[in-house]
Amino acid sequence: MFYREAGQFKTSYKADQALMPILQDRIGLLVILAIAFVVIPVLANDFFLTSIMIPFLVFALAAIGLNVLTGFCGQLSLGTGAFMGVGAYAAYKLTTIFPDANVIVMVLLSGVFSAAIGAVFGLPSLRIKGLYLAVTTLAAQFFLEWCFIRIPWLYNDNASGAIEIPHREAFGVVVSGAEATPIVRYFIVLSITALIAFLMANVLRGRIGRSWMMIRDMDIAAELMGIRPLQTKLMAFAVSSYICGVAGAMMVFFWLNAAEPSSYSIALSFQILFMVILGGLGSLSGSFMGAAFIWILPVFLKFIPGTIGINLAAETVEHVTFMIVGALIIFFLIVEPHGFARLWQIAKQKLRVWPFPY
Amino acid sequence: MNAFATDMTTAPDGSAEAAAREELLRVDNVSLSFGGVKAITDISFDILKGEIRAIIGPNGAGKTSMLNVINGFYHPQEGTITWQGKERRKMKPYEAASQGIARTFQNVALFKGMTTLDNIMSGRSLKMHRNFFWQLIWRGPAEAEEIEHRRKVEDIIDFLEIQAIRKTPVGRLPYGLQKRVELGRALAMEPDLLLLDEPMAGMNLEEKEDMSRFILDVNQEFGTTIALIEHDMGVVMDLSDRVVVLDYGKKIADGPPEDVQADQNVIDAYLGVSH
Ligand SMILES: Nc1ncnc2c1ncn2[C@@H]1O[C@H](COP(=O)(O)OP(=O)(O)OP(=O)(O)O)[C@@H](O)[C@H]1O
Ligand SMILES: [Mg+2]
Repeated sequence: MFYREAGQFKTSYKADQALMPILQDRIGLLVILAIAFVVIPVLANDFFLTSIMIPFLVFALAAIGLNVLTGFCGQLSLGTGAFMGVGAYAAYKLTTIFPDANVIVMVLLSGVFSAAIGAVFGLPSLRIKGLYLAVTTLAAQFFLEWCFIRIPWLYNDNASGAIEIPHREAFGVVVSGAEATPIVRYFIVLSITALIAFLMANVLRGRIGRSWMMIRDMDIAAELMGIRPLQTKLMAFAVSSYICGVAGAMMVFFWLNAAEPSSYSIALSFQILFMVILGGLGSLSGSFMGAAFIWILPVFLKFIPGTIGINLAAETVEHVTFMIVGALIIFFLIVEPHGFARLWQIAKQKLRVWPFPY
Repeated sequence: MNAFATDMTTAPDGSAEAAAREELLRVDNVSLSFGGVKAITDISFDILKGEIRAIIGPNGAGKTSMLNVINGFYHPQEGTITWQGKERRKMKPYEAASQGIARTFQNVALFKGMTTLDNIMSGRSLKMHRNFFWQLIWRGPAEAEEIEHRRKVEDIIDFLEIQAIRKTPVGRLPYGLQKRVELGRALAMEPDLLLLDEPMAGMNLEEKEDMSRFILDVNQEFGTTIALIEHDMGVVMDLSDRVVVLDYGKKIADGPPEDVQADQNVIDAYLGVSH
């Protein structure tokens, strides 16, 4: 009733295969973009930008990256954290070697390095599948973490073993380093995440996106339709790792300012994986929902009880978060593997037939 | 080719018939075993351009294995396969696909998470070439290519009368419709040879009639050569031009349906007379 496509007839295949064929969806997207680009910058304070919006967008991008590989191409990976780390270290080295180059370009370029490394670690996917593949990506995670610790060149022989992001300017404003303002960081992170999400939406609705889903759903049939399994999977690994690499670089350049090898540990891999599972395997919008949920829930738990007079200790918040997220993951894996994105679809379906219950 | 040419000149019923007799695929002395199990033993037969060739036999006779050999999924230990006049060595399934061999599966092998439309569009994969960077931009060449192939796919959707389920994820479709979508996906490849592995298994009479009509139409309107595995003898007799009969991996008969039906070996095989 409220959400319906009746009367919206498609007169061309072009219109029918648009990203959002239904008017209400397009309006919804415009509203979200307006909020993100106009309302939040005007209203939000530095705390909200730095502690909520910037990390949320970084994680959403990483979740999109993992979703390409796991949700769309069906290859389970536990190396997300390390691939993000590759992006971070690559961007750091690039800006060290080319101090005058635009650091935003360096961040976008850093993904190329993680793409190459991701593709190398994707090679075993020709022969092994599922959990076994996950174990080889786990090996990638530990090997790369080892590199971040043991190769001093990667962190410019810094005594602390951490990378510290230098002061960089672009277009006359400070974009990285301690002096960069939250609002500038927010705009950079928002623009990159929105751009990559849009480009991936294009890829996923076309031939290449289909070839990934063919491999995911039935690899034998895919091969008999002329899909080359190795090339297709390696491409998914490369694209996924590129996106994760850029997210990892943004994480340190525009959010944390400094990072240690432990910032890109297996814990990060799992965090991103949980975002993908909760948000919905094989859904771009789900990647945003999953990231929002997992990142914002703890913040919420930290502040809401305080405002209504209950005081929760920091550890309690952490434990409650773990319990809620854990329970939800079990719930989604068993009941609704397509996560929040699917629940949202069901809700829209209900709105369409409202007020009838079917 | 020479032997074939003499054959043509001696063909009594004129050139049209002769042209229809050109050989598309020939299998010579093929044997296939899995460890100790001999799935196929020394089988030879041919498939002529434009015909419907049935492959029949009791359960476990090696019919599916034969199709798997033809489209490169299994590699026979012995024997040769000649495709369009060229003998081919080991071939990967995606190479067979690019040379014009399409198939459907005994147990439906659709892409479960995708819609009917996307499943059939996936059959166009080999014919679409816009690279990753065009796909990123979408507007322009990638979109134009998508629309061009969408048109062809819509023709198939009309032909198979499945317009209403275009946007339905195939996992939610009943079995009979899934088989139909799978045929559509194979047709989208515009194959020279279409391999159908029990396309009517588990269907009711009406669905079988529809499917038979589609198979005949594909063969007659598009001129597609078809190799058909089917257990329903009535369907085989009605549809096929020639029939190969397998039993325990061996060929026991080959010829027009009426002859095969009357063949004592075939009757014995189906009645389970011991060897
Ligand atoms: N991958 C495999 N590994 C081992 N044995 C196999 C394999 N594929 C087929 N076989 C064996 O080969 C023989 C022929 O099997 P096939 O599936 O070709 O029979 P079929 O004629 O298609 O039977 P049905 O009518 O039941 O489909 C059977 O004994 C089967 O067990
Ligand atoms: Mg079979």
